[in-house]
Amino acid sequence: MIIESSDQVPRATLLKRFPVARNLGVAPESRIGRGKTWPAPAGAVRTKSFDVYRYDPDSGANPRLDTFQVDLDDCGPMALDALVWIKNKVDPTLTFRRSCREGVCGSCAMTMDGTNWLACTRFIKDMATPAAVYPLANMPVIKDLVPDTAHLFAQYAMIQPWLKSSTPAPQQERLQSPEERSQLDGYYECILCFCCTSGCPSHWWNGERFLGPAVLLQAWRWLADTRDEGAEERLDALEDPFRLYRCHTILNCTRTCPKHLNPGKAIAEIKRMMIERHG
Amino acid sequence: MSNPTAKRPRPLSPNIQNYRPQLTSVLSIVNRITGVVLSLCAVVLVIWLIAAATGPQAYTAVQGAIASWPGQIMLFASTFAFFLHLRGGIRHLVWDTVHGFELRSIYASGWLVVVAAAALLTAAAWIVGLWMAG
Amino acid sequence: MNPQDTRSPLARAIGLGSANTGVGHWWAERVSAVALVPLTLWLVASIIAQSGSDYASFIAWLGTPLASIAMILLLIALFHHTALGLQVVIEDYVHSGRKFAALVMTRLGCIGLATAGIVATLRIAFIE
Repeated sequence: MIIESSDQVPRATLLKRFPVARNLGVAPESRIGRGKTWPAPAGAVRTKSFDVYRYDPDSGANPRLDTFQVDLDDCGPMALDALVWIKNKVDPTLTFRRSCREGVCGSCAMTMDGTNWLACTRFIKDMATPAAVYPLANMPVIKDLVPDTAHLFAQYAMIQPWLKSSTPAPQQERLQSPEERSQLDGYYECILCFCCTSGCPSHWWNGERFLGPAVLLQAWRWLADTRDEGAEERLDALEDPFRLYRCHTILNCTRTCPKHLNPGKAIAEIKRMMIERHG
Repeated sequence: MSNPTAKRPRPLSPNIQNYRPQLTSVLSIVNRITGVVLSLCAVVLVIWLIAAATGPQAYTAVQGAIASWPGQIMLFASTFAFFLHLRGGIRHLVWDTVHGFELRSIYASGWLVVVAAAALLTAAAWIVGLWMAG
Repeated sequence: MNPQDTRSPLARAIGLGSANTGVGHWWAERVSAVALVPLTLWLVASIIAQSGSDYASFIAWLGTPLASIAMILLLIALFHHTALGLQVVIEDYVHSGRKFAALVMTRLGCIGLATAGIVATLRIAFIE
């Protein structure tokens, strides 16, 4: 009942999804149809059923939900291992991003059982049966589980995530005390997987203009950096009813961060800095 | 396809249709819904004041509407909405001071302060009110 | 996402630029909320206390300086908070041209209702 860490999977489920129509507000090209049920592997003792979102842009068909039976004795413990097993043994056209397989690159972020996490750090045994694997929520889908993150990275570029300084660079390093450096802890570790932004209802409804928790956390990372001299321009750019103030402290972001970071807190710090600036 | 350069728009992956309701999002939307309900109650408050200022007949008519079955049910729902929004609002004000952002605090304050306190306060208010009315 | 949108992703993200406003709204919502905590509790307690009373004693109570001042402060804080809160709700969910009409109607409605409530309270305090 009391969640202490974002990797906790709740034991009981009151509601698996909000009580809205399955196709509420869904554009015709996004409607998900019934997909193929792939045959179970021969001679497998322990299998688990996986419902995987599929979309082939070349076929002209709508997205669909395919069902796979994964042989758990032939496959590693993580959801990413299951996807790789499916790609190797059943359907080589299954497409997804992955790289480090250890939770540091952010490539394999996806929506599993209705929550956003990295596939390589989500244990199969913690997943429901059938396990539902969808691409990251509210993203345009390029193919299968691969989302188009261009807009999110553009929002990131817009906050100018680099050190701004007009003071000439010192001979050695720019000085920063250990206490000042510790102000960046919990913010610099972000791997830009966008699990948080994809799970934010405010970003669902206003993602065109609202920057979202990932980008705002990085904006705070630069505001909190004592070596940075650009606080004035950064705060000017953020002070907007949509860019910053669409955040209503819903806190889905903190609940879902696979690196245990706290975007909600970072945004609250930005809002506090805004107030300090005004009086 | 007839026009090979026309690009089919990319489908959008499901959001609210598929995303799991969590304490965070559920309490947030409840706070918003109770806020909207309370703004309707504000309208009723003004109607009630105008009726009181108009005279005893108007006041008695409004009181009668509130004392009726549907009126009492709406009043009960409104007091519950009020206490939920009050506790939720205080929870938000605490967050605005940049406190209580650890997941443990978010969940603890969510369950205890909002749900339990709101339910208890509603019950207490109604018990006292019914006792005072005789 | 509009497939006809030929702007670069960066142009889409920048949009029309920052409005350089937003703190005032956020601060006013919090200040009115802080004011509303004691005022609404006073209202609920008063309604409970007045549950058994008749019209005359109710009017007498509301006409006292303390009650009428508290009621007027409540109405001001309540409708300011309501206007700000509903503005945010409309901005979140309404994106077509109807948004501006809805924002205007809500704001004017709150001002009108607050005025009506304040005048009613003043009439009770001074005339009755």
